Amino acid sequence: MPYSDSDEQTGSQVCVAGTSTTPAAVKILIAGGFGVGKTTMVGSVSEIPPLHTEERLTVAGLGVDDLDGVERKTTTTVALDFGRITVNSQLVLYLFGTPGQERFWFMWNDLVHGALGAVVLADTRRLESSFASIDFFESRGVPFVVGVNCFHGLRDRTVDEVRDALDLDPGIPVVMGDLRERLDSRDLLVALVNLLMAGRPPAAVSG
Amino acid sequence: MSHWADGSPEDDEAEESLVRPYTITHGRTASARDDLTLITVIATVAPDERHGDRGLQPEHRMILRQCRAPVALAEVAAGLNLPVAVTKILVGDLLALDRVTARPPLAVAVGQETDMTLLQAVKDALLGL
Repeated sequence: MPYSDSDEQTGSQVCVAGTSTTPAAVKILIAGGFGVGKTTMVGSVSEIPPLHTEERLTVAGLGVDDLDGVERKTTTTVALDFGRITVNSQLVLYLFGTPGQERFWFMWNDLVHGALGAVVLADTRRLESSFASIDFFESRGVPFVVGVNCFHGLRDRTVDEVRDALDLDPGIPVVMGDLRERLDSRDLLVALVNLLMAGRPPAAVSG
Repeated sequence: MSHWADGSPEDDEAEESLVRPYTITHGRTASARDDLTLITVIATVAPDERHGDRGLQPEHRMILRQCRAPVALAEVAAGLNLPVAVTKILVGDLLALDRVTARPPLAVAVGQETDMTLLQAVKDALLGL
């Protein structure tokens, strides 16, 4: 084993044949109510078919009948689908379709922590299903854009109507698109990156 | 004999798998490394042949194979079909053995200006789709 010494942590020059430096990763969250098209969007822009993973979270006494005053804990499984876009040799972007039940996000800090921003998907037939996601990101100061999923190009509401119905801050972009289409989903992500590049802290819109 | 109230709700669901996830971790439920995240990028350090695989479980070997090309921990979990928390424990084992490296995600703090170079790179990649 002539080369085994090279595995020691020298801080540099630990390059192993075949692997250059390891890329770093960033992530964007794709949120919205159940069935609104999160996984569809992930799949349309990801370079790999959407992957699936899950986490088991301990839920203390949430919605459980209290039988004898002892706090009961239950475990719940929260699932997410995700995809990947390789930015360059040094950077990889992951897209995480978040669980539909926002109350679990608080227990899964790792999911939200460190996200560049978020896309909240909305369905014009039930806009109210997006309220919780919007509230969540607003309260956490996570920058987000709203994407209105228009299947078959059906646009039964205008951008302004959606903005009013969701009571959105004027600075939050609203983009219409068919999320099955790669370019439409792409444009939604670009809108988010443009928002981030504008460097707009959520509380201070004035300039 | 156990009382009916002793059973927890997850017992029924867990029976889908032949091996309970925390059997794979020898009962450990928390990783020694609490700095591992969903997008920490894991890379195998050396070809398997260079070290013996003594003491490694099949899941460890699967991780070493999968991470020859570096991937995020979430992908490792998906590949193993195991919960994220269990995957973190297994990756933590390999880190302790210096068999993998872990690159933490780029720091992106809420309310803080994000690196423009990074954002431009992401935008360029998106526009290239």
